[in-house]
Amino acid sequence: MPEPPALPFDPALALDAALAVAILGAALAAVSGRGVFRAVVFFIAYGLMVSIGWVRLGSVDVALAEAAIGAGLTGVLLLAAHGRLARAGAATDTPAGAGRGWAALAGLAVSGALVWAWFALPPVPARPGAELAEALPRAGVENPVTAVLLNFRGWDTLLESIILLAALVAVWMLTRDGDWRAPLGVPQHANAEGVMAGFARVLPPVGLMIGGYLLWAGADAPGGAFQGGTVWAAVLLVAALAGLWAPPRLEAAWFRAALVLGGAVFVLAGLALAGVGAGFLTLPEGAAKPVILGIELALAVSIAVTLVALVLGPPEGPPDAPPDAPPGALPDAPPGAPPDAPGAPR
Amino acid sequence: MTGWLILFAVALVLTLAGALWRVWRGPRRADRMMAAQLVGTGGVGVLMLLAPAHGAAVLDVALVLALLAALAAVGFVKASTPDGAGDPEEDAPPAGARGDDR
Repeated sequence: MPEPPALPFDPALALDAALAVAILGAALAAVSGRGVFRAVVFFIAYGLMVSIGWVRLGSVDVALAEAAIGAGLTGVLLLAAHGRLARAGAATDTPAGAGRGWAALAGLAVSGALVWAWFALPPVPARPGAELAEALPRAGVENPVTAVLLNFRGWDTLLESIILLAALVAVWMLTRDGDWRAPLGVPQHANAEGVMAGFARVLPPVGLMIGGYLLWAGADAPGGAFQGGTVWAAVLLVAALAGLWAPPRLEAAWFRAALVLGGAVFVLAGLALAGVGAGFLTLPEGAAKPVILGIELALAVSIAVTLVALVLGPPEGPPDAPPDAPPGALPDAPPGAPPDAPGAPR
Repeated sequence: MTGWLILFAVALVLTLAGALWRVWRGPRRADRMMAAQLVGTGGVGVLMLLAPAHGAAVLDVALVLALLAALAAVGFVKASTPDGAGDPEEDAPPAGARGDDR
């Protein structure tokens, strides 16, 4: 095929300008428009476009994480929250007046602090620094992001791996006393012959494979435990939403083991390395790659299970309304909430 | 060659702007949701056009988007069933699919 003539101008600037306008427009529409549903949809579109923006900035690892989290999980989470607010009769429109003013002020303060930090920081080198370039050949992996996360700064990543678990414990604190033994989330049901169940049968095998691929590729190319684990979480979530996979109970031993697997393997690997004299989480040069991949596999399992549990929410049994209660009698309202207070909750 | 691909990516981003306009205007919830799905599809196209300039790993981002962008639609139909946990295709369909604004 003959090469087409070179363009007389560089279209990269036009692409970046169009992307920036679209991203800013979606962000403004998400926070300033009226209607929570519209804001949720704009936020979903915003996440999709931000992942393109990360690619343009050369951060493909971040773009992968944003694509998996933004497309796979936050959309489902926010749409479920919106539907639930509507069914509970809570005000689903954006609050007006002073609350909005304070929220805008807080948002502007955070943005201003970020802009200040950007100009106050020393200039970021376009390429990895000399120390990293010198140390990377001994890291066992070729992706500099994975090398920093799992080898050079493994201690930071170990602590970060516990953050998701802390968030999950906080979510579980919302469980009602009578529901502790119920499966996670609300009981899901779907037509077994329908489109949703069919989609949920097709997607998980493909998604489990692609998640594993991202995990494996993360050693030498963008990807890794978080990206792979998030894809696993998303396809498990589809299976759960379609009623094909019953979410576990809090007391299920395998579930609890999976939650702590990543942190446990990480700590045990660190201790074992200290035991053989290398120092806590100091990876020996020859064995670095298998150790990193082993830790990442365990981390990915824990991340996947934790994210699924976070999106499904605290355990909730079937609504225990009296048998003759009218359908739709606010099974979701927390005990003690006034049933029909119009527009009361903020 | 990559210059032309990036030029086509600009055109695709402009179609995404059209989808954003539809998210803003609606008027029905399904219109907004379908426009967001269009952003997902168009985003896959943009990423594939950027892959020659930014490396093959960008195709992995496109792969993940293609795989997972439909999840928001699953969340949407779930949330629009009466108890938020069902399926519009079940035996007792919801009385009157939600077509109201916002």
